[in-house]
Amino acid sequence: MSVRYALLALLSEGPKYGHQLRQEFEARTGEVWPLNVGQVYTTLQRLERGGLVESDGDEEGPQKGFRITEDGEAALAAWLHTPPDLSSPPRDELVIKILIAVQVRDVDVHEVLQTHRRYLVQLMQEWTRLKEHAGDRDLGFALAVDAELFRLDAVVRWLDAADGRIKRARLDRLEPADGHLPKSPRKALVRP
Amino acid sequence: MSVLELNGVSKVYGDGPAEVRALHEVSLTVDEGELVAVMGPSGSGKSTLLTIAGTLEAPSAGEVVIAGAAVTGMSRNDRARLRRRSIGYVFQNFNLLAGLTAAENVALPLELDGVPAKVAREAGVQALEELGLRERSGSFPDELSGGERQRVAIARAVVGDRRLLLADEPSGALDSANGEAVMRLIRTACRRGVAGVVVTHDAQLASWADRVVFLRDGRVVDQTAPAAGPESLIAPGR
Amino acid sequence: MTVLTSDRPAEVKGRAGGGAPARRAVVRWGWRLFRREWRRHLLIISMLALAVAATIVGLGTATNAAKLSADPEFGTAATILSLRGSGPQLSDDLEAIRARVGAIDVVAHQEVAVPGSVSTIDLRDQRPGGTFNGVTLRLDSGRYPTGPGEVALSEGASKLLNIKVGGMWTANGQAWHVVGTVENPLNLQERFALVAPGHVVPAATVSVFTDWHPVPGDGLQLPSRAALHIISRGHPSTAAVDALVLALGTLGLLFVGLMAVAGFTVMAQRRHRALGMLAAVGATDRHVRLVLLADGAVVGGVGALAGAVVGLAAWFAFVPALSSLAGHRIDRSALPWWAVGAMLLLATLTAVGAAWWPARAIARTSVVAALSGRPSPPQPAHRFAAAGTLLLAGGLVLLFLSRPGSEHPRAPMIVTGTLAIPVGLLFLAPLSIRLLAAAGRHTGVAVRLALRDLVRYQARSGAALGSVTLAVGIAAAIAVSAAASDAPQPVGNLPTDQLMVHLSPNREAEQAPPLSGDQLQAVTTGLQQIASDIGARSVVPLEQAYSPQAGLQPAHAGPRGRTVPAGYATTSLSRITVSGPGIDISTMNPLYVATPSLLAHYGIPASAVDPTADVLSARTDLQGLKIFTPELRGGQASSEPGTASNAPRAPKISSVEPRIQTLSQLPLYTSAPSILLTTGAVQRLGLGTVPAAWLIQAAGPLTDTQIQTATTAASALGLYVENRDEQASLAPLRNWSTAVGVLVALGVLGMTVGLIRSETAGDLRTLAAAGASSTIRRTIAGATSAALALLGAILGTAGAYAALLVWHRSDLSPLHRVPVVNLAVILAGLPLLAWTGGWLLAGREPPALGRPPLE
Repeated sequence: MSVRYALLALLSEGPKYGHQLRQEFEARTGEVWPLNVGQVYTTLQRLERGGLVESDGDEEGPQKGFRITEDGEAALAAWLHTPPDLSSPPRDELVIKILIAVQVRDVDVHEVLQTHRRYLVQLMQEWTRLKEHAGDRDLGFALAVDAELFRLDAVVRWLDAADGRIKRARLDRLEPADGHLPKSPRKALVRP
Repeated sequence: MSVLELNGVSKVYGDGPAEVRALHEVSLTVDEGELVAVMGPSGSGKSTLLTIAGTLEAPSAGEVVIAGAAVTGMSRNDRARLRRRSIGYVFQNFNLLAGLTAAENVALPLELDGVPAKVAREAGVQALEELGLRERSGSFPDELSGGERQRVAIARAVVGDRRLLLADEPSGALDSANGEAVMRLIRTACRRGVAGVVVTHDAQLASWADRVVFLRDGRVVDQTAPAAGPESLIAPGR
Repeated sequence: MTVLTSDRPAEVKGRAGGGAPARRAVVRWGWRLFRREWRRHLLIISMLALAVAATIVGLGTATNAAKLSADPEFGTAATILSLRGSGPQLSDDLEAIRARVGAIDVVAHQEVAVPGSVSTIDLRDQRPGGTFNGVTLRLDSGRYPTGPGEVALSEGASKLLNIKVGGMWTANGQAWHVVGTVENPLNLQERFALVAPGHVVPAATVSVFTDWHPVPGDGLQLPSRAALHIISRGHPSTAAVDALVLALGTLGLLFVGLMAVAGFTVMAQRRHRALGMLAAVGATDRHVRLVLLADGAVVGGVGALAGAVVGLAAWFAFVPALSSLAGHRIDRSALPWWAVGAMLLLATLTAVGAAWWPARAIARTSVVAALSGRPSPPQPAHRFAAAGTLLLAGGLVLLFLSRPGSEHPRAPMIVTGTLAIPVGLLFLAPLSIRLLAAAGRHTGVAVRLALRDLVRYQARSGAALGSVTLAVGIAAAIAVSAAASDAPQPVGNLPTDQLMVHLSPNREAEQAPPLSGDQLQAVTTGLQQIASDIGARSVVPLEQAYSPQAGLQPAHAGPRGRTVPAGYATTSLSRITVSGPGIDISTMNPLYVATPSLLAHYGIPASAVDPTADVLSARTDLQGLKIFTPELRGGQASSEPGTASNAPRAPKISSVEPRIQTLSQLPLYTSAPSILLTTGAVQRLGLGTVPAAWLIQAAGPLTDTQIQTATTAASALGLYVENRDEQASLAPLRNWSTAVGVLVALGVLGMTVGLIRSETAGDLRTLAAAGASSTIRRTIAGATSAALALLGAILGTAGAYAALLVWHRSDLSPLHRVPVVNLAVILAGLPLLAWTGGWLLAGREPPALGRPPLE
């Protein structure tokens, strides 16, 4: 879906040839998002059919030139300003694994959590290394790596939060059994 | 060659019922040029680890070796000398002495070590220049922005012939851009041969390290394997 | 990383200290620290300076107010021999004395009556620069009289006679040209006229000053066998004053020290972080100490110097006022220099020590604790309290054993005792703060926060409380001892707004000349004229009682060269003891008849007088005295016991045990009609009454001119005016000391609270950010200062009382007089003032809300 708008964005700078579009797309989104040649041309055809771009000839192939139409510019602007649909949670495999791990006896949830955390941090280390090597030269690449890092970071943070929450839940469940009731329950209740 | 070695280090605060075990038999080795991140939630003993590594506190048990010298049994003065010669500190806050200019702050460890003021100051200005702060070398800390202050602190931590750089949440109070700049500087210092330890709870910060050590309840529970090459991530289809 | 490997000098490798460059760097930072924090330092400097200055002035006053360099009467002589002033063998006698005792100073005296006044002036021919009495004579203006007909007057005499330098004075029929003003520097109140040696003719008496000391059994025999009156002076005892100065000096030193400690401990908190930083960067303990020592030395030195300058300036400015209060000349350089010097040194040293303390704390605990800025955990309060109680008790015992009032006080015990008491109080500070905080547990958040912070930052609040306590304690001690020593002082003969006009020149004459109706009319008219001339409010005629059987007594020579005119022997209240053949009559108090006009003058309704009472008075020391009336014609009652018993016939007297009614409205002045004989008693005893004196009540204190006018007019009427004797009284000085003590205590409190407040600016900022109104900020500041003031006042007053109880242990009765007003000012006023001050000063929004200052 977003390849469509990425191509429209490139064309909004001015008319471009097909092969030029492909190179620029790759350059700007970095190696993070490699494309095959066919995908660019199919998308362009689809755009042309929808009247969002115009081509300057019938000749198929890399030498064909494209330019954006007024409809295309409107569609691009509308897309940029429309937030993606994040309201329904994606089915996250990691979340499901942890939810299940909590249920399963004889499994140390913290160990499970740590395994995933280690994996995620290792991933992040690799991304960071990429960013470090790239330096500030390549803005698009840095933005894309940041996106990935922030995403992974969010997951790590979720793991940290889960770690803490599970630990507290365990303690709460243990305490009454061990008889460690608060000495003055009424006082504890009164506290806001 | 290892610059920092912690062997079975434990730290206990208080005694009796108020006893708190901050560290429990922690062993950690940091080599020359290596940057290690210590990650863990609050209260996991990260900061204690750092202060012990920095000879600011003595461990209750275990051995600390810095640049081949055993810290245990050193006099206070010898430890002070070790600090100003071999160890650089970057704290989250309270990094700079308010009464000294940026350059003087950077030059302070050298001066404390007996380097003549003029020479030390030149070295300080040079270190600041490498961090792009030459024009701020005459400013007092309260005239600097947060990011600039932290960069001055890093300059001070690496000036001279430092072997070990210790940082406690070095980008804690900074925005992510400034935080990244700070980590890049620490990284650069390590590339030149300094052994670095960064203590943080922030995975993004930790991910700048060669190795991430996970601390939990005063114990080392895990660590990442040394990172693979940078190309491993770029696979077709992603 | 090899930024500077090649530049490092190889030779310093082995040194742990870093050598001179490191010290320079550290001192440079110390200097910058000082410059950055100069406002806070200024506060400490002014605290120190205030303490030093107050101590200098206090020491000067204590040393000089009560202590004289020599005896005002004897000078440096040990003995004064008095001879009759005339006689052919006088020069032989003097030669004999000179041969017997060596060097002598000879002064001839003549008593000169002042017309219209009961006062007399001593005319003397003292030689300036005498061997022994040289210290009792000083020229103020003009010159010493050198020839016949020249005289120099003391200020009191000149005032009494209304004659200035250049004027003429006629005395005893001789005219004198006034050429100068003189004084007795040891007793400025002394009233005398000085003439050139040998010009007192005829001399009534001659005084011989000598350092000879009479030995029992080794008397002086004069060739003329004339009567010789010998008075010897005991050894001068300055021990009590010395003990007091010692105690005060010690307190001053402690005060100065405490101020420095308080200032620096309050500041130490914030420094901890910077010092921890310095240590983390690799400074050794010595480096850290060096910074603070340099800082302390600068602050202490500057503070001591400023205090010395201010204190000496204040002392020099205060000396003239103190001289007139104390009644003797005070040498500006007469300061206890040892104490001043020691204090300046100590001010610097304590500042250094107090500055060094935080460094010691860092060396003792850890860099990490310093870096985190956590207050060091407070020591258990009860341990402190135990030590404090022990010190307090020990100090009191030492003070008790030091025998402060005796001839040989034990100096080391005084010093240790005076030190131990305030230090003990200081140790009790944490406990008392805790108690106060516990008491304030249920107050609003602002007060609770203020109190809790005082507990949490025990080091700084404790030192602050200590200095406030000491300042208040000194003020309270001054107030209490002022009250204790005030009352035994004589109240004087008359208040300043009254004149007594007597018919007889002699107050003690016990003889009232009768007046005819015309004479009485003339006198009454004349007195009305005087009263209107000086703007007086009323003239009250005073009557005395006499026994009609006794009849008129003849005129006779009274003391001081006066002649007592013929008159009726008047009734008095006296002590009468019958011993063998004679009767001793002593302690004669004149009795005035309680006429309705006199009672009205004192606002006593006639109904208030018990009809059975004989004598009315406010005095409580009249037990055992009897109403005494001479009843025999020709018999002569005299206060000289010898005369009475040596008379050929014992005089017939009547003596009656009186019924005394105490009326507090009556005055206590010695010459005023203070003991009244009721009209009922006059009737019961069958006495007659006779006008004896008049009381002139002025609208306000009488001026010299008014007194002069009255005296001149009275002289024309043949009457004698008595006005208040100028008496040196230290009472105003004590009042001033109390006021200054309270002011210093307030100053200390203000500075301490200011310092604490500047240190808690961060908290206030947080509170303001949390939406606290200015009322809360004000309440916090007010509660902090009021809490310190209240505790300081309580501890200080208690400490002062404890110390004074021990000091006065031989006679506790003076302490029964409690200076209620002064203590109320201290105990209630000081906290109230502190609250108000804190409240008013905390109104301003803390600056730079968003950006806390860099630590």
